[in-house]
Amino acid sequence: MKLSPAISQYVMPSEHCPAPEVRAADLPDISAVKITDLFPEIPKGYLHNEGIDFIRQATEEALSRVDMRMIKPEHSVNILCSEHGFYLLEGMHYLEMLKAIKDVVFERTGCRRITLKLAAGMGYRESNEIISQFNLKDHFNGRVRPICAFDRGIPIETEIGTLYGLAGAYDADWIIHAGHDEPRDLYFYRMIDRLLKAFVMSYARFETRSVYHGNFGNRSCAFLQRAMFDAPFVQEKFTFGCFLRLTPAGVTGVAASNNLYRLGEEITVDLLRDYGKMLRLFAEIDDCIAILDGGRYGYYLHAGGIVFGCLENVRYDAFDLSQPAALAYFDLLGRMAKGENEKMEHIMFVNPALKAVVINQAWPGIPMAGLPLEIPTFVVGEKMIEITRMDAANPSFMDLSEPAEDLPQAMAMAKEAAGTDKVLVFDGSFGYINLSAPLAETLFQKAPGVKEQVEKKFLPLWLKQRGIDPAQI
Amino acid sequence: MRVVNYISQVDETKCTGCKRCEIVCPPAAIKVINKVATVDSEKCLACNKCWHVCPEDAVSIVPRETELIVGVDFEEVDAEAIEALCRKAHFFPEQFVCACTLTLAKEVAAAIIKGAKTPEAVTAMTGVRSGCAIYCMGPILRMLKAHGIKIEAPDTHRWYDLSLSLWDVPTAVAEKHPEYYLKDDQTEFNE
Ligand code: SF4
Ligand code: SF4
Repeated sequence: MKLSPAISQYVMPSEHCPAPEVRAADLPDISAVKITDLFPEIPKGYLHNEGIDFIRQATEEALSRVDMRMIKPEHSVNILCSEHGFYLLEGMHYLEMLKAIKDVVFERTGCRRITLKLAAGMGYRESNEIISQFNLKDHFNGRVRPICAFDRGIPIETEIGTLYGLAGAYDADWIIHAGHDEPRDLYFYRMIDRLLKAFVMSYARFETRSVYHGNFGNRSCAFLQRAMFDAPFVQEKFTFGCFLRLTPAGVTGVAASNNLYRLGEEITVDLLRDYGKMLRLFAEIDDCIAILDGGRYGYYLHAGGIVFGCLENVRYDAFDLSQPAALAYFDLLGRMAKGENEKMEHIMFVNPALKAVVINQAWPGIPMAGLPLEIPTFVVGEKMIEITRMDAANPSFMDLSEPAEDLPQAMAMAKEAAGTDKVLVFDGSFGYINLSAPLAETLFQKAPGVKEQVEKKFLPLWLKQRGIDPAQI
Repeated sequence: MRVVNYISQVDETKCTGCKRCEIVCPPAAIKVINKVATVDSEKCLACNKCWHVCPEDAVSIVPRETELIVGVDFEEVDAEAIEALCRKAHFFPEQFVCACTLTLAKEVAAAIIKGAKTPEAVTAMTGVRSGCAIYCMGPILRMLKAHGIKIEAPDTHRWYDLSLSLWDVPTAVAEKHPEYYLKDDQTEFNE
């Protein structure tokens, strides 16, 4: 079992949740395990401290295979990007890819009216912070605008009826979809058409996001993203997609194509294989305490490339499309609250291995209200407690959680409540996981069996269910 | 039920009366009157939307002097009527329709039976959509329509009439795209 000293790799600082005095990585019982020590076959990528120069070259190379002839010098182009890209390994790789896209499009087409449209999860405050911290105005000659779910919409006629996009996303002659392939909260779309999701989330009005999450199942909602992307209005503006590629072990490169369905299949094979192993490994954890520790939404903080939200539901194999569980996220807590246990196999509930959660640092604003209903939750320090108390998206959260003065005190309380010393830190890490030694031991024990199961049993099933034959790609 | 301990406060010296806050406010608690945004303390649910969109940084969220409690007592409404409305709109009455306030479908149904006719009224009565406000609009509109209420979307982009759901998918479309499990999900949900 190879343990290294814990490595700090915190996502960008934020005025919305100031950094705590003690970091999880500073705790004496926290060490780091490399992803490639657990799964040597997962492609090793570049990490946050290993340079970003290769990104420009990788972007130029990927774009050399893309047709841009539809863009004329007098046209306008929107590069559509999302806030989450700036979460990934401190965001510099994503930024470099966006800058390279702008430069290549100008060089090849002569078009100067290229605007970066930055979509944020909840409102302008997140985007404005990113615009300033990453100097986006300088990098894009002032042509950068935030777009948010509450902005003016535009009706888009689709095969399934009218959906609403954001007018600001589509107010140019052409659009470029500039994303990343990190799977995020995959149980919400079950890894169907990964590359199209932003068309019904980031680039769409809140009503569209609402029907996607609230009015469809977690498998069938994926049809909405296809319907939106295939809509004539979107297709008339769409040029190509360009994506930062990651494995749980870091940034591996950039992929681009005019054909998102074809590229999506290629990427899906890798995502199912690499993230599938990490997820099934996390599913083998029998008990643990999670620490959320980074200046971004807690739900989306990474440990070894897997977001905390996935740990919450990892007992269900969301990649398995025959799995009826995880049908409707909102269904779960109502039934739990009422104590109805019949037909629970249809309902996703929180991973019973998650015995306690410690919130050392996390942005407010994303719903996690159900968490402290079911799991002992500890919030660290006066500032974080006040932020949590004021969080409109989690109005009862602090009433149900325990306050702690500092991180060591919170950990002592959590360990007593949880009865375990297995600790998993969500602090934005790719390439390695910060964790306690007893948990590292479990992961090393389980990894070989998980590798075999995924490669021999699960991966062929997951691919077959999606109609993907790797030999044809 | 939602307990509200904070309230939006407008700095009149900064406010330009641009109405951006008014357009996004879920319970219609903030309105521009005489060119200045004014907050109705009986309605503000401290959802932060006005704070997010104000270009002048004129809005702060501050503690309330006394807490505001919003919620509909579904015991006061005929239980069979609530059940029937939820079922008609394809909801399990005990399911949460808002991931932030954890408002149950039956509470939204009770508010509508008690007279709420718009999404704003549902929000003001129940507190639903006072969190992230992203995910619960579709379910609210579904429930209003199932009660026979004619939806008239506002002139501004406050909200658009979109309540499309799994049950609106034509059979031909569902059959054309089996890879999206549309029919399977319809069956699962109905069960
Ligand atoms: S958004 Fe700000 S400036 Fe505009 S009306 Fe509201 S408070 Fe005033
Ligand atoms: S309900 Fe929300 S948007 Fe409306 S005034 Fe209060 S904080 Fe502002």
